[in-house]
Amino acid sequence: MANVLDLRRRIRSVKNTRQITKAMKMVSAAKLRRAQERALAARPYARMITSVLQSLIGRIDIFDPETGNLRHPLFATRPEKRVLLILISGDKGFAGAFNANILKTAYQFIEANPDKEIDIEAVGRKGRDQMRRRYPAAVYTEQTDADGNSRMVRERKAPVEVTGDHPGMLLKLEAGRVFELAQEIIGRYIHQEIDAAYIVYNEFKSVIQQRLVVERLLPLIELGRQQITGAVEPTMAERERAAEAAISAGIELEPVDTREADEEARKFGTAQVDYIYEQPSEELFAGLIPQYVSSILYHAMTESVAAEHAARMTAMDSATNNASDMIDALTLHMNRVRQAAITKEIIEIVSGAAAL
Amino acid sequence: MAEETNQLRVRLVTPARVLFEHMASSVELPSKSGYLEVLYGHAPLVAELGAGDVTLHDGPEGDERYNVNWGFVEVLPDRVTILASDALKPEEIDVARAEQQLDRGLQLWKEAGESEEKYNEALRVIAEGEAKIASAAEKH
Repeated sequence: MANVLDLRRRIRSVKNTRQITKAMKMVSAAKLRRAQERALAARPYARMITSVLQSLIGRIDIFDPETGNLRHPLFATRPEKRVLLILISGDKGFAGAFNANILKTAYQFIEANPDKEIDIEAVGRKGRDQMRRRYPAAVYTEQTDADGNSRMVRERKAPVEVTGDHPGMLLKLEAGRVFELAQEIIGRYIHQEIDAAYIVYNEFKSVIQQRLVVERLLPLIELGRQQITGAVEPTMAERERAAEAAISAGIELEPVDTREADEEARKFGTAQVDYIYEQPSEELFAGLIPQYVSSILYHAMTESVAAEHAARMTAMDSATNNASDMIDALTLHMNRVRQAAITKEIIEIVSGAAAL
Repeated sequence: MAEETNQLRVRLVTPARVLFEHMASSVELPSKSGYLEVLYGHAPLVAELGAGDVTLHDGPEGDERYNVNWGFVEVLPDRVTILASDALKPEEIDVARAEQQLDRGLQLWKEAGESEEKYNEALRVIAEGEAKIASAAEKH
């Protein structure tokens, strides 16, 4: 049986662990608050881009009346044979099942589409590491065509390949970098390297309102509406756990009321007047649509970052509680052991005295 | 409407946040097809912005300048809303980086060959770099 000294040492060690998890929880709570603010601050821009696009579409046909062509190639839909999957996971662990759940959703998506060629763009280190281990990277070789121009040609070896990753993108989320990624994805769509693009990420409205979603990014079928094709809601128990953790860390449970600001932003470019359009509509579309796609991506990333911090906060809160329970159990055990030792000594003294 | 003030409400919004919302007597915008100035009572207008400076006249802090490199503007008689992918004050511009960007643009321009797409991209990068340098070089 363990003696008192051993138990005391263990209690001390568990106490230290509890201190660390508690600190991590508070850090995550602070980061969550900041991530929520950032997600909120990014909303007016996304809303305005969406509303001006919607209003443009309402005023002009997406088909050119003279040529019958689409005004922008991203409106074109093709049978989905090659699909791009943008996987937004976390950069670090210690966030409970956050990364595992995202990966599970991604695997389900891949398994549900066995006859399609799937490219993966991984944002976030955890997802990238897993995907790289499981699927081969895309191979590009340089080839020279008849005119002597060299270009990169891709050789597909497996149905699922990882085409790129973006380490550190979530660490310091910058609209500029996200826009570059959006441009690249749009380029691939226009050059018909992909027929559709989906994002897998953790949507985060508030601590108790979050879910894992698969959202269609391209083609643009319906503007201004999230094109969600699959969602996993958290269980009631998970939600309660998250709420408990949030309350103890002082985080608001309900999302901040943004209706007024949203309403204001929605008016952008949609006033009931005849606008003078400085540029022809094709040019306006060409300028706006990449921004729109980029704003969807940026939105997904800000939400995912907030969700990651929330998940870490919840996980660390659970860890802190578990450590406290363990300390209680160990303390009880230690007291029993000490009592037993004292009793034993008394018995020895008493029986020694009786023998005299 | 606010007849007595004749002031425009100017908002500058970037993907990350709403940068400011100020009153000004007029605002200059770098539209893609050239600079335009908007005064109170302008006809409704929607325009794409190129690389250049947005200048507010008689704002709360006097004249204010912001360098933008792509944007979108909605003009209503009493209100101007600018969506910009990035907006910097002249003193925030990193001149060395802007020069690098200009060099990169010129490089792209040389390599563009026959491809219209690459050529346009190169022109865009050059315009951005030049606008940033010009903006930073003007009085601080």
